[in-house]
Amino acid sequence: MAPPRPRLSRRDALRLGGLALPALALPSLLTACGSAAGTPGTVLRVAQTSDPKTLDPQKQGDLTSMNVLINMFDTLTTRGPDNQLKPGLALSWSSPDPLTWRFKLRPGVKFHNGEPCDAKAVAFSINRLLDPATKSPIVELRYVKQAVVVDPLTVDLRCSEADPIIPAKVSLFGGVAVPPEYLKQVGSAGFAKHPVGTGPFTFEEFERDHQLRMRANPAYWGGKPAYDELVFLPMADPSSALASLQSDEVDIVAGLTPDAALQIQGYPGVEIRHFPGIRTSYLSLDTTQGPLRDVRVRQALNHAVDVPLLIKAVLDGKAREVPTMFPRESFGFDPSITPYTRDLGEAKRLLAEAGYANGFDTSISALTADSNVAEAISGLLAKVGVRARVDLVDSGTYTSRLTSDNRGALGPIYLAASTGWTLDAESLVQSNVRHDRRQSRWHNAEADRLIDGEELSLAPADRQKAFTSLQQLLKQEAPFVFLYQIDNVYAVNTRPTWQPGVVGVLAMASARVTP
Amino acid sequence: MTAPVTTATRLPARAGAGVLRVVVTKVLTAIVVLFFVATAAFLLVRLSGDPVKLILPPDATAAQEATLRASLGLDRPLITQYLDYLAGLPRLKLGTSLVYDQPVTDVLFSRIPATLELAGAALLVALALAVPAGTFAAMRRGRAGDSGVMAGVLVGQSTPAFWVGILLILIFAVQLKILPASGYGGIEHLILPAVTLAVYSVAVIARLLRSSLIDVLGSDFIRTAKAKGLGTGGIVLGHGMRNAALPVVTVVGLEVGSLLGGAILTEQVFSWPGLGRLTVEAIQNRDFPLVQAAVLFFAATFVIVNLLVDLSYTILDPRVRVTS
Repeated sequence: MAPPRPRLSRRDALRLGGLALPALALPSLLTACGSAAGTPGTVLRVAQTSDPKTLDPQKQGDLTSMNVLINMFDTLTTRGPDNQLKPGLALSWSSPDPLTWRFKLRPGVKFHNGEPCDAKAVAFSINRLLDPATKSPIVELRYVKQAVVVDPLTVDLRCSEADPIIPAKVSLFGGVAVPPEYLKQVGSAGFAKHPVGTGPFTFEEFERDHQLRMRANPAYWGGKPAYDELVFLPMADPSSALASLQSDEVDIVAGLTPDAALQIQGYPGVEIRHFPGIRTSYLSLDTTQGPLRDVRVRQALNHAVDVPLLIKAVLDGKAREVPTMFPRESFGFDPSITPYTRDLGEAKRLLAEAGYANGFDTSISALTADSNVAEAISGLLAKVGVRARVDLVDSGTYTSRLTSDNRGALGPIYLAASTGWTLDAESLVQSNVRHDRRQSRWHNAEADRLIDGEELSLAPADRQKAFTSLQQLLKQEAPFVFLYQIDNVYAVNTRPTWQPGVVGVLAMASARVTP
Repeated sequence: MTAPVTTATRLPARAGAGVLRVVVTKVLTAIVVLFFVATAAFLLVRLSGDPVKLILPPDATAAQEATLRASLGLDRPLITQYLDYLAGLPRLKLGTSLVYDQPVTDVLFSRIPATLELAGAALLVALALAVPAGTFAAMRRGRAGDSGVMAGVLVGQSTPAFWVGILLILIFAVQLKILPASGYGGIEHLILPAVTLAVYSVAVIARLLRSSLIDVLGSDFIRTAKAKGLGTGGIVLGHGMRNAALPVVTVVGLEVGSLLGGAILTEQVFSWPGLGRLTVEAIQNRDFPLVQAAVLFFAATFVIVNLLVDLSYTILDPRVRVTS
């Protein structure tokens, strides 16, 4: 039986080959393979799941758009590979009064069209972002009322409420600079067609769903990038993106899940690199009704969900356990707080004490993309008698339910993940801990007090104290089941080297590429 | 969709004026169909959820949501939005994409060429493979060649397009490295996606052509032709094909629709910058104006192709013209 098989499949392969005969007849065309062929100099080609939605940096707010635009635009502050906040377009910042943040700008910075990037341009940019007519999806600057020019290189952001993390927020696109004169000339639509920033790369060409090309900016204030051209390619399907990597059409495939990356393990010339990330996952528990009202039940769930096992079995080890829901790199994280011990006996004892010796029935809602994790958690809970049905929903439905007025719309338990781009713990709790927030399902006066403490105080020491107490309280009261922060996973060939920060944005200016 | 044969047989004897009347009736019907499609698209996308929730991050405040909703015009009464939308249709003013912030017609028209290129190439590949295969099978009816072709056809018809696509990528891009795995550009980029998309259609067309030819070859006029001493080739090409073509044309027309539909998966696998991928993304983003426009475009294509199929009957089959 065995010998005929390979012969059959070879014949099948030949038959398939026959379908592509026209290709073989056109060898001259084939030499022109690859999108960036014929361009002089070194090229770095990066594939991610989709294109930027728009090239106007103030009209997008999703990771894939930011990944591209961060290479053409600068922000007031920035983050290095060490994750520390450092100067960008602003050299220094201070808070002369609780409702004002003052930024001193870097002198001599110019947009790609030669226009100066001064206080006037920065104030214009912030005010354009705040104008409802811009229809910007960037929401971080919610407490900023307006930007005011103080002198040619100084800008004030005036706030309606104290916001201690404005300097961190302007490291994102809330703090992006756009050229006022150019915008006046070409309008918003023209700007989105041919963006002009101050960044390390200048815009070259964009063919939607095909490729976006940029060239190194020789006049960049941070120094010219070490290679000539940066190309972003949208590839929605991870299998075909990895195939493109294997056939040398791209150098980096970004945005992979650990299981997708496993596909190319062992393939020569291609490797999987993973770096610490900050996307933090947790289960939100509806503490307002049912068995989850009882703190002992919530603690039992935390004991039952064996996170290290989950990471090993489902995520190929590419994640780190978190004690509560704060990622380790965020301001506010307290390393003295340890994760729950995973203890099935303890979990059963707590459940019995709460009157659920035989467990109970419940459900876990999750995105279809997270089905593996949700199923595994359901399995872990079953070991202590908690029978959780997994309800999978698409991302649109998920988001609608998450932000709907009905806080129970996603059921008693849902699997959530947050990326706290500001690297401040506030981002992780701002919408789901204080009892009056949109996604909060927990009423706790002490938690409300601590949230106010970290949100309204400007002194880092006071904020850290509030965060430490909040983490202790979160662990004790367990309104969530705390899971992990997942790594950023990339598949690469041997050409590029670069060091991404935990935020996981593809700022490629500091990358090196072997020709 | 109307059954083409019934309408075709209703054509009057005086072909010229009659054809014109049929065309006018058909075009009017098409407009009514498109009106209903437009209405259904408008209502269905609005049932699917709120785009503002997807544009803004989950931690946006309710006030921020309300501001954006108002600036997108989504806070207006449904009936106002609907009437605006209808008023724009005849002038092809289909609104501004919520996500791309560009007129949807610009977004749509920039993608149509890529999809037409892919679907057109796939149709050519399908016909180039299916016609010889179907003819060959019909002539070898019941023999090994026939069974071989039909077995191949069965495999082609029952294999999902995305799987064929991944298989082709693995063979020609990853292993042999002679064709690109994805992207858009020269002919070399077109080959794998076009073949992938064509596989199903090859099967459908070959199978139908075979049975249709077998039918025709068994009929009286073929026997007459044989009696006149014509060779097999002459009979099949000169008499058989023309008569067998009728149902095949119908199915080729329908295949244009399924090629456009199939393009959604194929474009995803090969990162092809066409309408299929655009539509999938627009639906995921709840980009109302763009989804509406894309649905209308697909519907209009179906309607036009059906119209052309109907009319082609009068050319292919003289009987259709004289039946009153």
